[in-house]
Amino acid sequence: MSTEMVRADNVHKSFGSLEVLKGVDLVVNSGEVCCVLGPSGSGKSTFLRCVNHLEKLNAGKIFVDGDLVGYHERGGKLHEMKGKEVARQRRSIGMVFQRFNLFPHMTSLQNVMEAPCRVKRENKAEVRERAASLLERVGLGDKIDAYPGMLSGGQQQRVAIARALAMRPKLMLFDEPTSALDPELVGEVLDVMKDLARDGMTMVVVTHEIGFAREVGDQVVFMDGGVVVEKGTPAEIIANPQHERTQAFLSKVL
Amino acid sequence: MSDQTQTDRARPEPIQAVPVRHPGRWLAIAVLAVLTAMFLHLIFTNDQFRWSFIFSSYEPGKRGVMFTEPVLDGLRGTLLLTVTSMVIGVVLGVIIAIMRLSDNWILRGVAFVYTWFFRAVPRLVLAVLFGNLNILWDRIGFGLPFDQQIGKLFGIDDLNAQFYSIKASDLLAGFVAGMLALGLSEAAYMAEIVRAGIQSIDPGQGEAATALGLSRGQVLRRVVLPQAMRVIVPPTGNEIIAMVKDTSLVAFVPVTYELFFQLNAIKARTFVVLPVLVAAVIWYLIICTVLMIAQYFVERHFGRGYGASGRARQRLRNIQAEQGGVPASESGAAT
Repeated sequence: MSTEMVRADNVHKSFGSLEVLKGVDLVVNSGEVCCVLGPSGSGKSTFLRCVNHLEKLNAGKIFVDGDLVGYHERGGKLHEMKGKEVARQRRSIGMVFQRFNLFPHMTSLQNVMEAPCRVKRENKAEVRERAASLLERVGLGDKIDAYPGMLSGGQQQRVAIARALAMRPKLMLFDEPTSALDPELVGEVLDVMKDLARDGMTMVVVTHEIGFAREVGDQVVFMDGGVVVEKGTPAEIIANPQHERTQAFLSKVL
Repeated sequence: MSDQTQTDRARPEPIQAVPVRHPGRWLAIAVLAVLTAMFLHLIFTNDQFRWSFIFSSYEPGKRGVMFTEPVLDGLRGTLLLTVTSMVIGVVLGVIIAIMRLSDNWILRGVAFVYTWFFRAVPRLVLAVLFGNLNILWDRIGFGLPFDQQIGKLFGIDDLNAQFYSIKASDLLAGFVAGMLALGLSEAAYMAEIVRAGIQSIDPGQGEAATALGLSRGQVLRRVVLPQAMRVIVPPTGNEIIAMVKDTSLVAFVPVTYELFFQLNAIKARTFVVLPVLVAAVIWYLIICTVLMIAQYFVERHFGRGYGASGRARQRLRNIQAEQGGVPASESGAAT
């Protein structure tokens, strides 16, 4: 039962004259946790942002759950999707950012309720109940009325995860979710993510937490210089890297 | 161990030091006190103010100049003009700000030219200009643009494809002309204020909202603008207060339905100068005070989630956490 959730074919992305992604190929199966490692500037965050079309590709294709992201293919020609159609695709893809990006003018509960209420136009009372139970699930049941400014970084990131989950996504993207946190707060966020992985959520996680990748990752991808250098199981990549760039990177972070 | 010894030691006496003296401050206060006393003395003892003329009766059988019927009408006109031109200014300003931030260079360019023109021309000139603009047309109406020219193209003389039209000198004169002059000019300033507000918001906010599937309009309405309001409201308060005062410029359109014009008329008729001007000052002070109170509440509303109180509470909690006195629920133990 391994359907492809994400498929990237030869993805290229440039910012001006700077080519950040130089042909990335990747397959993430349904229910799999894929951890993307690599030095800064290797293009891993950019790749993640391409998956939900926050960045437009210059070449190549990305499919999520079988659907081409950001374009329609008709008669061998690509047509750009309208804003509404891209938004519709993004509904089923949750994203968690390095700097949380909670909406500071809304309470935790309002942050979590915003998208289901406004985008899916679901019943408000139902959403409220679900949002409260999601916040409960990430250990913040007593913080539903707190504004983000009153929460610690770890708490804010857990609200951000609950906010993404409220849309019932089939895929979760994590862009260095613990990089902006104090060391003692990293654990609480990783715990929530482990819990999610255990429940079978498909996740692509850009991270520097090698321990997390080893423990939770089904697939570990090492990126450098805009390409995938090496991919495989955590045992293969982390314990026994073949490529010298992987070895050099791991020797620095481990 | 060291903790133990620390708690065992007696707490020293609270510090009771002699505070630093500030003789300069006291001198300044003394000077200000004397000036204030002189000012109050002037107001209460100088007959030239003629307070009864201002407050109780300016002519036999009439109310004080502040409360006489034409002046109250003028006050209503001033307030109405302020509200309508600010509504035009804010709505159009938001639209122009959004155009200015568009990806499309034509929209950006049009917004730039608009702001350029209306910021360059003084409001007084605009007021006079709009008062005379009706020279350009006989009638103004809604309908097919270039209907005459299109008619000629198809060999029809004098094609009239206007659904509704009105004589230009009836529409574009007096109050409407003044309102447009002030409103269109205001839109240029508001556009810059709104643009600054929108640009002050972290792009991550828009990205997070976009990633959740919100449409561009929703991102703007639900996430960006409510936060930008915190930056937009204080200068907008400035603009409203400035507008209250700038309404006096429409006397040149000319509009007579305006506070200062009405007071001036009384001044010209009675030859009483100073008390009339003081009456004007008092009215403007009252309006401005009310607006400042309103602004306080609007700012408080859009400050949700930011205020110093939230940050102070956070700091207090951090201190509590450091001292180990955190309630179990806040200790951060996840799942």
